[in-house]
Amino acid sequence: MQDIDLKRQLLLLEMRIDDVMRKEVITVSPQNRMSELLTIFKKHNISGAPVIDGEKLVGIISIEDLIRWLYEGSKNYYVGERMTKNPTCFYTSQPLVYIIKIFEESGFGRFPVLNKSNKLAGIVTKGIIIKGLLKRLAIENSEDEIPQYRASHFFEDINADYKEINLRYNVIGKDIENAGSASTQIKRNLKRLGIRSSIIQRLAIASYEAEMNAVLHADGGTMEYTITPDQIICIARDTGPGIEDIEKAMQPGFSTASDWIRELGFGAGMGLTNIEKCSDKMEIDSTPGKGTTLTIIIRTEDNNGIKRNS
Amino acid sequence: MKIKDIQRILEAEVLYYQDEQQMEMEIRSIAASDLMSNILALVRVPDLLLTGLNNSQVINTASVFGIKAVALIKNDKCPHVDTKVLELAKEEEILLLLTHKCMYESCGLLYSNGLPCILG
Repeated sequence: MQDIDLKRQLLLLEMRIDDVMRKEVITVSPQNRMSELLTIFKKHNISGAPVIDGEKLVGIISIEDLIRWLYEGSKNYYVGERMTKNPTCFYTSQPLVYIIKIFEESGFGRFPVLNKSNKLAGIVTKGIIIKGLLKRLAIENSEDEIPQYRASHFFEDINADYKEINLRYNVIGKDIENAGSASTQIKRNLKRLGIRSSIIQRLAIASYEAEMNAVLHADGGTMEYTITPDQIICIARDTGPGIEDIEKAMQPGFSTASDWIRELGFGAGMGLTNIEKCSDKMEIDSTPGKGTTLTIIIRTEDNNGIKRNS
Repeated sequence: MKIKDIQRILEAEVLYYQDEQQMEMEIRSIAASDLMSNILALVRVPDLLLTGLNNSQVINTASVFGIKAVALIKNDKCPHVDTKVLELAKEEEILLLLTHKCMYESCGLLYSNGLPCILG
């Protein structure tokens, strides 16, 4: 569940006020009479409105102001006299997280939203924000859901005491053109199996870095994947030069890459660091002169899925 | 900002796009690098990858990381975009742009058009 929480958090950080605000705003003028307000609110089914003088936002008036005016004897007042002057405003480009905090702190029900040139661009209420968030969540989830549905069925539909799928790919050394194809293929296959997309992404990154190591540093080898209902094991085997000092190789930025590797966009010394970050367990077994076997384990069940983000 | 706005700002050629809807894709974050492992080390997935690299690993990186659009910087050393890059982009349905502006100018233009650095 935790990665859903994280996704939600990222969603909030990503979203801006203009992603959710209502752009068609009913406004009133300070010259409107308070007695007209009730009709306006009722007609548009709203409980408040920004007050605009010419093009300038001068205040905000809500149903609470209207009730207070009625309670005080509904005298012949103008909106301009009863509105909240210089209300707190937001700007279209502000992040949504910011506004949610202000909602909590201020207790106000609605805020006008201004564009860069300080003109009214929209309005937000708690209801509008919730509607916007739900819409966005629905879009995000629909991208994940279909494969998830198939996934749960795949392993359930097959009966056996022990279930696993084995896939193996050959990796050819120094074949730059086709390097990475094992990882992009396994990514597609895991999608078909219905593995959660956050898990697929982690496996794909770890597998891709391992595959590139086998292509660039060694003379190729094999990429082997074992998928069980609760974990994916990726074993990258090569018959390359081996790693002299594993501890050193694990340090971010440490690289033995030659210039041609760097020209290809690799050799930043981040490979093993990235693999470790993406996996739940990583093991390196290397003999200099003989080769390296890298084992990556990523759990698919009861997995918090956020290791690489924490 | 939409990807078609970025195309306009960078005066970029569109080398591959899936459909009109993909050109409406919203771009909120960009990562610019020629080192693919540095991209894969980012905590968040950028919406667009801007790179001077011109080989199939660009698309593979985008694919495994989940980046939906790539803008290639035209490179004097290899002025023609590798056919393998185009093939892979199509296969992976990754929108592909090619700009003739250099990396420095591209980054500057996008930054000054309101795309801040939000990736750690």
